[in-house]
Amino acid sequence: MSVEVGLELPSLELTFTRTDLVRYAGASGDFNPIHHSDHAARAIGLDGVLAHGMLTMGRALRVVTDWAGDPAKVVSYGVRFTRPVPVPDDGVGTVVTVNGRVTRVSDGVATVSIEALCDGAKVLGSATAEVRVD
Amino acid sequence: MPITDAHVGRTYPATAPYPVTAGKIAEFADALGDDSPAYRGPDAVAPPTFAIVVALAAWDGLFADPELDIKLSRLIHGDQRFDYARPLRAGDEVVSTLSIDKVRARGNSAFITVSASVDTTAGEHVCTSTSTLVHTWPEEASA
Repeated sequence: MSVEVGLELPSLELTFTRTDLVRYAGASGDFNPIHHSDHAARAIGLDGVLAHGMLTMGRALRVVTDWAGDPAKVVSYGVRFTRPVPVPDDGVGTVVTVNGRVTRVSDGVATVSIEALCDGAKVLGSATAEVRVD
Repeated sequence: MPITDAHVGRTYPATAPYPVTAGKIAEFADALGDDSPAYRGPDAVAPPTFAIVVALAAWDGLFADPELDIKLSRLIHGDQRFDYARPLRAGDEVVSTLSIDKVRARGNSAFITVSASVDTTAGEHVCTSTSTLVHTWPEEASA
């Protein structure tokens, strides 16, 4: 496919509920209780339960894999966990909006800069994926 | 602080072989809320961040190292990167080998960069997971 620098990928709107966190804990094996127990989260000074950074990272990449069409084309993916995603037990959940923009194309590999916003603040820093586009 | 840059270069034994199954891949994709057909069926590939499941098992080497005094409950995941030679697939049997790449102390915290190489039991390299973990020791232990 022909890909040019500056291309904006279709945005994603992701909702994180407490049930999503429990499901990810089971699937990933990360049972750190700050991701399901308000009691445990408050014990270390947090206001409440936070999403696993790896869940936010994993779900955000879909902005790239849906566009590329094949997750096997992903060459690299890196993020900084700059800000946590709080997930209150309110039956509603927390919305994270994910945008992607192609910043470089070289040797059949596109570099996509990913932005993940929660309440207007970036929850991932320097989030970048490289994906084969040839 | 128990961990210092003298520990840079330390490598832990490979984890027990982990069989990547179609069922586990589908379960992980469900947990990401991703219904892509690529993650379903006997020839499924794993979602790229599935590699963390294998890498996490290798982190146990840190927790089990008595010299380091590192506990999961005192760790914050600072950053994460994956570099893929190819995707993990249903039917792969993989091991993960952890190394300490960098240690930077600040106050009673340490920024610890570790890498976990994920390879098949036949020796084929699949991917590398690189993570910065921020560990904080209790104030009283930092004197």
